[in-house]
Amino acid sequence: MSDPSGAAVASEPEDSDSAGGEARSARREEAADSTAGGEADAAAADSASAAESTNTPTDRERRREVATDRWLGIAGAALALVGLGVLVRQSPLVLAGAVGVGYAVYARAGDAPTPALAVIRSVSDEAPAPGDEVHVTVRAENVGETALPDLRLVDGVPPGLAVVDGPARVATALRPGAAVTFEYTVRAARGDHEWEPLTAITRDAAGARERSTTLDAPTAIACTPELAAGGNLPLRGLTTVHHGRVPTDVGGAGVEFHATREYRRGDPLKRIDWNRRARTGELSTVELREERAATVVLLVDARESAYAAADPDAETAVEASVAAAGQAFSALLDGGDRVGIAALSPLDCWLPPGSGTVHAARGRETLATDPALAPTPSGERFYRSLWLRRFRRRLPADAQVLFFTPLVDDTAATLARRIDAHGHLVTVLSPDPTTAETAGQRLTTFERRGRLRSLRSAGIRALEWGDDSFPVAVAAATRRWSR
Amino acid sequence: MRPLAVIGVLAVAVGLLAALDRGIASAISPTSAVVTLIGVLGVVQGVRYANARRDRRRLLTDPGEPERRAPAAVPGSDLDERIARVASPAPGGYRDRRDLRDRVREVAVDAVARDRNCSPEAAATAVDDGTWTDDPVAAAFFDTRSDYPLRVRLSAGVRGRSNYWYGLRAAIDEIERIQGGAA
Repeated sequence: MSDPSGAAVASEPEDSDSAGGEARSARREEAADSTAGGEADAAAADSASAAESTNTPTDRERRREVATDRWLGIAGAALALVGLGVLVRQSPLVLAGAVGVGYAVYARAGDAPTPALAVIRSVSDEAPAPGDEVHVTVRAENVGETALPDLRLVDGVPPGLAVVDGPARVATALRPGAAVTFEYTVRAARGDHEWEPLTAITRDAAGARERSTTLDAPTAIACTPELAAGGNLPLRGLTTVHHGRVPTDVGGAGVEFHATREYRRGDPLKRIDWNRRARTGELSTVELREERAATVVLLVDARESAYAAADPDAETAVEASVAAAGQAFSALLDGGDRVGIAALSPLDCWLPPGSGTVHAARGRETLATDPALAPTPSGERFYRSLWLRRFRRRLPADAQVLFFTPLVDDTAATLARRIDAHGHLVTVLSPDPTTAETAGQRLTTFERRGRLRSLRSAGIRALEWGDDSFPVAVAAATRRWSR
Repeated sequence: MRPLAVIGVLAVAVGLLAALDRGIASAISPTSAVVTLIGVLGVVQGVRYANARRDRRRLLTDPGEPERRAPAAVPGSDLDERIARVASPAPGGYRDRRDLRDRVREVAVDAVARDRNCSPEAAATAVDDGTWTDDPVAAAFFDTRSDYPLRVRLSAGVRGRSNYWYGLRAAIDEIERIQGGAA
């Protein structure tokens, strides 16, 4: 046997039971009445879904049946042995050859069975926090009439989750009524994660034919990170009429000096520049920089190209963007600004600017689980001009845009310029996913740097961050930026 | 193959007849030479059939690696694939080479313009006539009139790579040097 996963990795508890018929009926009773408990195996009994256990097979889709070519050449080897026996006049060799003929016949007989399995998948936590370990238990019962001499089950772990403990698969044999349970642990990551159908591969006893089937057992977890404040975010001077904390170039009431002007009747006494009055005898009024609230839309680049990272196993730029957008979201809301969320993605995602606790919860939900910001690309086509038209229609006239993009292609830079040209102040915040090991990677790095430079020379604020965290990069850049 | 098939059918027919009628069997009384021939034929055919396995791999369903998270794309890895394609000295792929050269040229012009504080047009001229660098390999990458140095051509011939590949690498090294100096 050249089976890489070995023989039964996990076998069901009743396998040692020689009374097959009794065991079968016991298992069926247990399945019909889950409250009886009894000798039910712990993993299945403590899961909530055990109550749903039935003897109806899980919906399945037959995918393909192939000859594995495992015994290919065995007839040739047998014939060669017989020939050799004849050649050297040794009847034992001829007899040994005949044994080979037996194997050839064995390989031809039999057919890969179609599995009739009742699959139940249960997870230890359906709403984990990012980084939490979630235990997944999969139980498959052979509810068909035929035995499955060689069964491999491979679970459809969501592509955005990594298994940290145990393989998400099992190899075993199941007679009718028997069940197998296997467990593994995944590390939760931001997003809605839906399990893909389980793949069942069955073979005949000789392993000559193989059938692959998928079994649908819907399971999902939703992982919503808490929003952490990312310090003080630098916004630009375009603002709403509401009072807030963004310093503007508008003189009026505030705390910071802006200008002095001639006294006009009705100006408050406390704003009169008394020093000047004493010096020159003229009355003048001090204007202070008005502080107003801003309307901000956080735009996250989630096109397929943005799912990039310096290392295939590292977190993608989309994850970095979403995490940073979360920090910006709570920081801006705390400051009294109105914040909205949009995604540059083939899928639609739009949370209009707003404020308040309900809006905060909605924003958190959007950032965590919106399909447009999923941890893996959707695979749909992105139409730039269509997207821009829709985005502009929705964007409030006084809104400024914080654009989170890794800038790995020209589209993002062009869009930033076009949004800016339409009168919305744009700040580009760019997680750096580039690396410089091969010629192609170095060229990409140069091109990205060029894009950042051209954005800056076009008057668009651009900030990039790599290994250092987003708030640190913001703090460093804020010192550099003038208003 | 047809004569062989006819011989095969005849042999089987004779064998069947011999099994039915002992007279025929005793008539062809197999000599040692015939038996040896049969043995040799058996071995040869057997080995031929068994050999069919050699080049065939077992067709097993590959369930993939669901345990791993979907890998992220590394920026530039698609470019590396294109570079690997143009690295072979085989003719063809002109469009790929031209596109790639244009891309590198754009970055080079930008780097030179910033380094020398000159207009993009002047930088483009410098890149096109090879005066943007002291490295003759990098210069030859953009300048179609000058040839690659002999050592590069020899090395390319020995290692089975194209001159283009050497030029591309030298140009990228040179851009990095210029950008590093400018930063």
